Amino acid sequence: MIEQILIYGAISGAVYALLAVGFTLIFGVAGIVNLAHGSFFMLGAYMFAVLAPIGLSQLGLLPALILSTISVAVISIIFYKLTIRPVIDQEIAVMVVTVCMALIFQQLMLQIFSAANLPIPSFLEGSVPILGVTVTYTRISALVVSLVLFASLLIFITKSKIGAAMRAVSQDRETAMLMGINTERLYMLTMAISASLAALAGIFIAASTTGVAASWMWLQPLAMSFAIVILGGLGSIKGTLIGGFIIGYAEQTVAITVPEGGAIVPVIPFTIMVLVLLLRPKGLFGKRLEIEE
Amino acid sequence: MNTVTTLLRRIYSSFAADVFDIPPRLLAFLLLLILLAIPILTPSPYLLRILTSASVLAIFAASWDLLVGRTGQISLGHALFFGIGAYSTALLFKYYGLPLWVTIPSAVLIGVIVALLIGFPCLRVKGPYLALVTMAFPLILSSIVKWTPLLPVFEGEYGIRRLPSFFPFLPIGDQRIAEYYLSLILLVVSSVILYKVANSKTGIVFISILDDEVASKASGINVTRYKLMAFGISGLFASLAGCIQAHLLTVANPPVFALTWSFMPIVVTFLGGMGTIYGPLAGAYIYIFLDRYVFTTLIRIPSEWEYTTLIAITLVIVILIIKWPRGVARFVTDKLEDLMEARELEERGKWIWKRQKKK
Amino acid sequence: MHLLEVENLTKRFGGLTALNNVSFQVDEGEIVGIIGPNGAGKTTLFHLLTGFIKPDSGTIKFKGENITGLEPHKIVNKGLARTFQVVRPFRHLPTIANVLVALQSPRGNKQIEWLKTPERKAMEMLEDVGLSEMMMEPAENLAHGDLKRLEIARALATEPELLLLDEPFGGLSPIETAYLTHPIQRMHQEGRTVIIVEHKLYALMRLVRRVIVLHFGEKIAEGTPEEISKNKKVIEVYMGKAM
Repeated sequence: MIEQILIYGAISGAVYALLAVGFTLIFGVAGIVNLAHGSFFMLGAYMFAVLAPIGLSQLGLLPALILSTISVAVISIIFYKLTIRPVIDQEIAVMVVTVCMALIFQQLMLQIFSAANLPIPSFLEGSVPILGVTVTYTRISALVVSLVLFASLLIFITKSKIGAAMRAVSQDRETAMLMGINTERLYMLTMAISASLAALAGIFIAASTTGVAASWMWLQPLAMSFAIVILGGLGSIKGTLIGGFIIGYAEQTVAITVPEGGAIVPVIPFTIMVLVLLLRPKGLFGKRLEIEE
Repeated sequence: MNTVTTLLRRIYSSFAADVFDIPPRLLAFLLLLILLAIPILTPSPYLLRILTSASVLAIFAASWDLLVGRTGQISLGHALFFGIGAYSTALLFKYYGLPLWVTIPSAVLIGVIVALLIGFPCLRVKGPYLALVTMAFPLILSSIVKWTPLLPVFEGEYGIRRLPSFFPFLPIGDQRIAEYYLSLILLVVSSVILYKVANSKTGIVFISILDDEVASKASGINVTRYKLMAFGISGLFASLAGCIQAHLLTVANPPVFALTWSFMPIVVTFLGGMGTIYGPLAGAYIYIFLDRYVFTTLIRIPSEWEYTTLIAITLVIVILIIKWPRGVARFVTDKLEDLMEARELEERGKWIWKRQKKK
Repeated sequence: MHLLEVENLTKRFGGLTALNNVSFQVDEGEIVGIIGPNGAGKTTLFHLLTGFIKPDSGTIKFKGENITGLEPHKIVNKGLARTFQVVRPFRHLPTIANVLVALQSPRGNKQIEWLKTPERKAMEMLEDVGLSEMMMEPAENLAHGDLKRLEIARALATEPELLLLDEPFGGLSPIETAYLTHPIQRMHQEGRTVIIVEHKLYALMRLVRRVIVLHFGEKIAEGTPEEISKNKKVIEVYMGKAM
């Protein structure tokens, strides 16, 4: 049982971290609380579910993966331009508008695909026993790819010029603009990256489990992202990674050890979030403002 | 006889000064008259039912606006109080068989207590964090009331049913009318109270917290206490709305904690205009109009496309919010005030012109 | 007993030491100036005195009572008020309401004499700083100079015994600056103790009786305005080393 928790926790953790880092990125850089973040997660999974069977016979799954991710990225930019940009100076408006769009996306998926489950082909057939637990190659690839992407993102942000621009804008928007940084383009890029990561996370999780079904599929990933970001601390990418793993492990532990645990699992991210905010509002690695200027 | 007429005249003139001279209030008063007259004009039970839900939604939205629009504490989880109101009155009825004029005030009291309890942790966080943590609470409760081991208590998915309705002694048609007037009266009373609070010294302090918490503290204000007060009052009216809903539908079930109910007051208030009292009220009626009339009766959507209804409504709302970020009702009142100002200037211009001519 | 006693106050932000072992006293009825180049720690000092930040070490005593680490509103209600360097008005409220908020605090409320309404008291305070015409204007429509005066009126509404003014002349023209010295002198004559942080030395030196000089978080000099203006170390710090 412990081995199960150990391994599955790691897999969940890595993918959740990938999902959450997109959310914290768009919030840190553009100040946008994107409540439709979970929608990108969902859209990615649906796109893949539709495109993969086409690709399977001819070109393999990789093109389908790339195409799904890119289309979600494009959708996110349109979404940003049309709905967020007009109200970007009002925090609450952004939240309202993004949540409305999340509802629209969900209803759209329900309309097109109905509430039934859509199966997703696994990436790689077969499985391998690790520490006595049978782990599918799909799940392992999910773990590996997530970690690789996460590391690439980290390197991108710390070493590249654009990454420096992102960090600058997240610290002081006005000065960054004065320094000649085109914030609008940066926001769009950040949005695209954020949505792509969410889409990939969606594909991984759907491929590792039973497939994709709309009902409330946008809410869980959203809650997960919140909880991880709050736990890890806003503004800290390292925190997001660690937060992701903690929540991944917490979920698996409860699901496996508590009776009827499956039903309670959705509550975990929320409870963790509330506890963190009660006990240590800045999270593990967050930076807290002493006096708001 | 003379003293009575003088008194009446005095009441009338103070009322006139309070209401007739101020465009938004005049508008609200006229709308109220229209609303009061509706059952007499068109006693269609369907219309009455729609408008009754609008009243409940309006109370709920107004409670939210006090907390968020006036005091600046973003709540994405107001369904918590709504649901607690509904379930409290239901549980009190289920286990103690108390009549609804006892369960409802008690449930509202429970709502206030919960609001104060929730307020404490919420006060330590601001902005997006506050929004997220408030979102969590109703969802946690939603899972709890659906949790199978607690089935005997909360009765799971179906909820606690067969709650007493308000006017069981009346025939069905009249019940609808009575419920309509009851909810309308409760709406008016709640609005007036909320309005008085918002315009009292306490309300001014609320706005100071919204504008600049640091400066408020530096002015000697115990911001925490005022925030708790805002939470409490908001929770009071939100759970009241939940109670009314529960007894109108005669059931208290898990959807009352759903995210959609948390977002209703937000969307509705935004539609109407945040930070005002009439905003959420107007928004509630506009929303219900869109939801139950425009997209149900006016525009018939075939059943295979059932999901598109929600899409359409939400799209319209998004467009409205983008077009009028300050809210539709605000837009109207702003225009009215501009008109009045323009008319005043015109009159003054004419008067100056006349004086010039005399010279 | 000193009205204000600051002992060994130290505050670090990460690697930066904003205040290092600063100590001084202020007696009742004094009017004291605090000067120093930018980054010297003056505003940090105010934040510490008014409870918005907690010090890493050291104590602050007001009227003999240890107020270190108390919450800001409690300190205000003990009689210690402040203004902000960058004005913080309540933008959505009319000018008079800004003052009314402060009059809602326990201390502000207590000080309203019997038979006077808070509105009456607020109007008087606005008159004192010359803002009565702007009474009903939303604060966001006020000019910078007016906002500075509003800051002071709001702080005075809590009837403080000690008033901390953070760059009250910041962004004011010479005429506005001269105009503002009157209310400040008046409140000092009424018996209030005032500590002013300022960069406009010509205005400050004429107003205060004693000056404390901070540099890189440390107190480097203390004395009358005349002594300070002749102090070699102070001149060096402001002007750079003499050739």
